Amino acid sequence: MTQNSTPKYSRRAMLTTGGVAAGAAFLAACSSTNTTVTRLGSAPTTAMLEDAAVTDVVLLRTAMSVETMIADLYTADAVTSLADSTMAPIVSAYAAAHKANLGGLASAIAARGGAAYNGTNEKLMLAYGQAALDLIAEGKDKTDVHAIALALETLAASTYQYFVSLTNEKALRAEMMRLGATSSRRAAVVAQQINSGTQGFAPGLDKDGVATVATLPSAFGALSSIQVTLGPVNPESGTRAVVLMDTPSLNSLIY
Amino acid sequence: MENQQVDLPENSATSRRRLLTSLLAGGAFAAAAPLLASRASAADGTTASTVAPPNRDKADNATLNALVRREDQMVATYAAAVKATSNADDAAALTLIHDHHVAYVQALAGYLGRDAVATGNGSALAGATGSFASNASQLANLETATMNQHIDALSSLNGLNAATLVASIITMEARHSAALALVSGLAPLNAAGN
Repeated sequence: MTQNSTPKYSRRAMLTTGGVAAGAAFLAACSSTNTTVTRLGSAPTTAMLEDAAVTDVVLLRTAMSVETMIADLYTADAVTSLADSTMAPIVSAYAAAHKANLGGLASAIAARGGAAYNGTNEKLMLAYGQAALDLIAEGKDKTDVHAIALALETLAASTYQYFVSLTNEKALRAEMMRLGATSSRRAAVVAQQINSGTQGFAPGLDKDGVATVATLPSAFGALSSIQVTLGPVNPESGTRAVVLMDTPSLNSLIY
Repeated sequence: MENQQVDLPENSATSRRRLLTSLLAGGAFAAAAPLLASRASAADGTTASTVAPPNRDKADNATLNALVRREDQMVATYAAAVKATSNADDAAALTLIHDHHVAYVQALAGYLGRDAVATGNGSALAGATGSFASNASQLANLETATMNQHIDALSSLNGLNAATLVASIITMEARHSAALALVSGLAPLNAAGN
């Protein structure tokens, strides 16, 4: 049997109710009473960071810190004690060259009204510099001197190349690349000490299928992390530690 | 657990006039934002606020075309040097550097697009007729000269994108120069420029 039940709500009643509800919501939104929001837990107040801009002076000060760090790494006992008769004069000359760059950078900073920075780059030392030194000291492998020299000169060249994209003053970009190009030359010379002759120019593999050190690893200067294998051989895995070196970034610039 | 009550500020009634004023102010800010964004601030207070360099500038075209012409000549020079080299390793190394210079021509001409000069017709900068060592020495000098031309170009380039590209070329041309100087018989520290 079919029963026609009377609907509980008519269309008119529903429209009326809806209209009243919308009106109430609108009036509630227009009310001027204080609104309170419940917050769970305690939230400590945070101090806003200072607004720091990356100026040409900041880049020059950072360049000084990187040059100092590189010179310090070259002259560390862990490195000098392992350098053989071929690498010792190279390491010594490279360290002196990086120290010599500081004078020119300081003058450039002074000319722009800034203050020279004579310290090392603490952030980069913490990120990879000290780790590299510790591994070299632990491994006592003479080839680590070549590896760290290649990595440091590549790092210096990449740093100046990267800074070109951040530098405002055109003449300063050229001056930075003069320094970067010199480091790039030094990197090529160290690469040739590791893998000499024209057969060492291009990237390749040795008889074990391991990538060899190339003097000319790419057509354009790369800005990716520089990988350097250092330290003792891990007896369990048979591999050595790989340290990644990056160019300075916003958290390691000297403001 | 701790509960805290946060009092929000009292909502003010919004008049039509206030709404229109806000809209006008918002529109004006939106119009001014690109202009404000193009200003770079200086942190140390001693350096005056400067206009941020443009990413691209038509005024750089002449300088960049001069670099394209130079790189085109380097391509022709290496092509001749490869032909004159009998040792397979030496020829492979020169071919590698030749290919790098081809990449520089393509990158610079690609950046310039329709404003680039015609490429592929550069004349060799030096005759490669001697031994590999003497040719390598000559090529090392040419690499240094080319690198210096690029560094000098950086002093006049306004566009950051062009400057960034040229900087990446300088890094590798410095390596070309040192590597060739070393295989030509120069002492390591002399090849490094120390």
